[in-house]
Amino acid sequence: MGIFDFLKSAAPASIRARRARAVPEGDDLFDDAFQRKLEYLAIVSRKVFSGRLRAERRTKKTGSGIEFADHREYAAGDDFRYLDWNVYQRFGKLLLRLYEEEEDLSIYMLVDASRSMGFDFHAREGAGATGKGPKIRYAKRLAAALCYIGLANLDRVSVSALSNRVKERMATTRGKQRIYRVFQFLRSVDAEGATGLEDALKQFVAQNKRRGLAVLISDLYDPEGFQEGINVLRYNKFEPFVLHVVDPDEAHPKLNGDVRLYDCETGDEREVTVTQSVLDKYAAAHEAYLKEIETFCTNKQVPYFRADITVPFDDLILRIFRRGGFLR
Amino acid sequence: MHFLGLPLASLAPYMAAAAAVAVGLYILKLRRRPVPVPFSPLWTRILRDKEATSLFSRLKRILSLLVQLILLALLFLALMDPRSAVEVVKGRNLVVLVDTSASMQASDGGGERGKPRIELARDELRKLVQGLGASDRMLIASMDAVVTPLTPMTGDAARLDAAVDSVKAVDCRADLARALRFAIDTLRNVKEPEIVIISDGVLGDPRDALGEVHLGETKLSYVPIGTGKRNVAITQFSVRRYPLDRARYEVMLEVQNLGDKDEQIELSLYGDDVLVDLSKLSIKAGERLPRFYPSLGGASRSLEARIAVVTPELPRRDDLTADDRAFAVLPERRRTKVLAVTPGNTYLEAALLLDEYLDVNVVTPNQMNDALGKGKYDVAIYDGVTPSLKPGLPALYLDPHGNDGPVKVDTKPTPEPEFDAKLERKHPILRWTAFDNIGIAQAFRLTPLEGDKIVGASNAAGPILVAGQRQSTKFVVLSFDVRQSDLPLRIAWPVFLLNCINWFVEEDAEYLSSFKTGDVWHVPAPLGVSSSAVLVDPHMKKHVVPVQEGRAVFFGVEAGFYRLQAPEGTPGATSQDGVKRDVLFAANLVDPTESAIAPKTEITIDGKKGGVVAGFKVGVRKELWIYLLIAVIVIAAVEWWTYHRRISV
Repeated sequence: MGIFDFLKSAAPASIRARRARAVPEGDDLFDDAFQRKLEYLAIVSRKVFSGRLRAERRTKKTGSGIEFADHREYAAGDDFRYLDWNVYQRFGKLLLRLYEEEEDLSIYMLVDASRSMGFDFHAREGAGATGKGPKIRYAKRLAAALCYIGLANLDRVSVSALSNRVKERMATTRGKQRIYRVFQFLRSVDAEGATGLEDALKQFVAQNKRRGLAVLISDLYDPEGFQEGINVLRYNKFEPFVLHVVDPDEAHPKLNGDVRLYDCETGDEREVTVTQSVLDKYAAAHEAYLKEIETFCTNKQVPYFRADITVPFDDLILRIFRRGGFLR
Repeated sequence: MHFLGLPLASLAPYMAAAAAVAVGLYILKLRRRPVPVPFSPLWTRILRDKEATSLFSRLKRILSLLVQLILLALLFLALMDPRSAVEVVKGRNLVVLVDTSASMQASDGGGERGKPRIELARDELRKLVQGLGASDRMLIASMDAVVTPLTPMTGDAARLDAAVDSVKAVDCRADLARALRFAIDTLRNVKEPEIVIISDGVLGDPRDALGEVHLGETKLSYVPIGTGKRNVAITQFSVRRYPLDRARYEVMLEVQNLGDKDEQIELSLYGDDVLVDLSKLSIKAGERLPRFYPSLGGASRSLEARIAVVTPELPRRDDLTADDRAFAVLPERRRTKVLAVTPGNTYLEAALLLDEYLDVNVVTPNQMNDALGKGKYDVAIYDGVTPSLKPGLPALYLDPHGNDGPVKVDTKPTPEPEFDAKLERKHPILRWTAFDNIGIAQAFRLTPLEGDKIVGASNAAGPILVAGQRQSTKFVVLSFDVRQSDLPLRIAWPVFLLNCINWFVEEDAEYLSSFKTGDVWHVPAPLGVSSSAVLVDPHMKKHVVPVQEGRAVFFGVEAGFYRLQAPEGTPGATSQDGVKRDVLFAANLVDPTESAIAPKTEITIDGKKGGVVAGFKVGVRKELWIYLLIAVIVIAAVEWWTYHRRISV
């Protein structure tokens, strides 16, 4: 260890935590190739719903839509226009035709922009440039892709960057042409701050009265527990959709010997002598944590996808299409 | 416990500094490498189990520091060179005299062929070196006919070890008195002097021309070597040609059984490497058996006697083989051309016929110049004529007259002189002769020059027999007419003539058939050699030896045949026939004292009995620091291994 390394290592944890911020992202985050893939995905999303009405999303509310939903008996004061005369002619009963109320869906992209999302494990381990980059990069591309699909379907799309609060928020927008605004917003998001999903989502819920699909894109590294954050969405009638961003290399850190580990967000320290058995235990604990999240979401009927950053984002989106839940 | 190394006061600051550095490095080691992780609660989960063992982990870390401090302590302890009080002895000054005489070649050690005593001596010497105390100093010297120090007085074990390997036995006896005087001189005015003798005890008397050696306060220790005493040896061996029949020779040798058992031996005699005689003999324990071989012929130069023990039911060899062979060289015999100038002398001509190796040309004085002009001669005999001495042609003048000869001759004769004033009986020309009471009618007084040798003189006539040389050409002058005396009627007459001829042609009448090892040899140098010659030893190794007064000087310690050569390019070193005039000679041990190899278990010198060597922990290094250093290396290796195996971290 050189003297400069030693001095660096002797710096307070708070300073080191600041240093451990995400590496700067490249300008090619949303390049032409990426945008071509978005167009492709948008086309694919329409094919999934071939034969149905397009460009609209349906809520479960009944109202003045055009798609038949049910009948009910006529009551005084009902609009005669909705009486089903055919039924009256056949059965002699006055029944009113009910239609699903058509309403544009609100999609909220909740991107975790805490420091752990910017933790570039590969750059830190000296493994060289793998092209994967930090998790935030993958999360941004995923969010952009889903936003484009939403905008293309004329949904109302909003993007929020979270840490332990709503750091930044892009106002609700619609229309394909607004995708560049989304790009601009996502580019400006930095991975900073500690993760606090519960507080951040409470703030989000308070800011957004209109309910809708809340897509949470996060590594769910919340020291206070990921459950409360998801529950906030559920309890406030949002439809949570969890995209769990996972870097598989984080389960197998290349560590050895006597080290002092510190949390890149909180600065908490632990002295560890890393041996192979410790690494094995850590890998098992990491996997157990992922399983715990998945089990929780399954139990609560929250759509859950594990977004492995080694898998191309378009493959993941196609998988989401196939599974359903994001597109109705 | 004593500390003989660096004092604690000197080491203390270094110890403190090293300990501080160790602790500092340890603290640095405790500052672990900081590594960021994205989510520390996951680590908290798996480390919960390890919390229970954290106390043990801390203990292990302290143990790591303790091990490092122990390593430092051991290192500094090693520098202080600790010794137990029992092992600490005052620094001694030792002179180890290793017997390298011929008896140390006896192979009476263990094993089928027997380990030589000299090898056993080396083993004992090596043990002494290994057991040398830290403050002891030692000098190793080999002891044979001379004393050769192999090391200076030193405590350097490596240097002493190297000297041990150079100890070799030679074919000569040991000069104990000389060795002891060397040791005493070396140990003069030093503390704790001690002489250690490693020997079989076959050393002779510790007395020389200065008397008995006195040891004074010097301690004497003795390491006895050897067990066997079975030995049959050739203790005498010589050969000579018959003066009047130089084609034949006689050999005398003596065989001695120095063991305690009766033996049967085969005695072989080789002439020029060809077996001349083989006889089987029985020789009783302690018996001395002289053998005489008269009138032998055939061999021209070298003779070798060998004995082999063939006693039934006993091993077919004795313990010492160095004395089972003896070597001798016959004097070189070559044809000599003699020019006899005489008006007629039957006695002279008859005497010259006795030696078949003489080519004699008898001429009258008138024919002398023609004869000298036509042929080359080795010797001239002038009878009744007195020409001048020709360079390169030695001459015997009989009854000379006038002043042309090498010495002046009086004109007035002296009647009836006798050799009553002087007779150099040891002169080569008078060997085996009796010139006393010779009846001489008359003789003439000779006037020799400075450097000439008056061999015979009369009270009445003065010098009448003179020998000498002019510009390297020898001459002999006898100043009376032998026919006017009774000399030709005596056996001395032909012997005298042949002696003169031999002296002229360097056929040395004092020829020694062999030299004795351990002596300084004076070997007649080849013709033409003046300052140095080349000596080829029995192993064909060449030595340049000095030549003084016509003889090469060499101190020889090995038996065998030697060859003395003139340096390349020396004029006269090659004969007219192109043959090199090398001198061949032999050297022998032939020493009954050295052949009596029965070892002595104790020796007494100057009333002091040689004690057992003490103060040597042979085979074990007493220096504790070596073991401390080994402990440091072992602990460091264990610490390294356990650290990298994550056991002691």
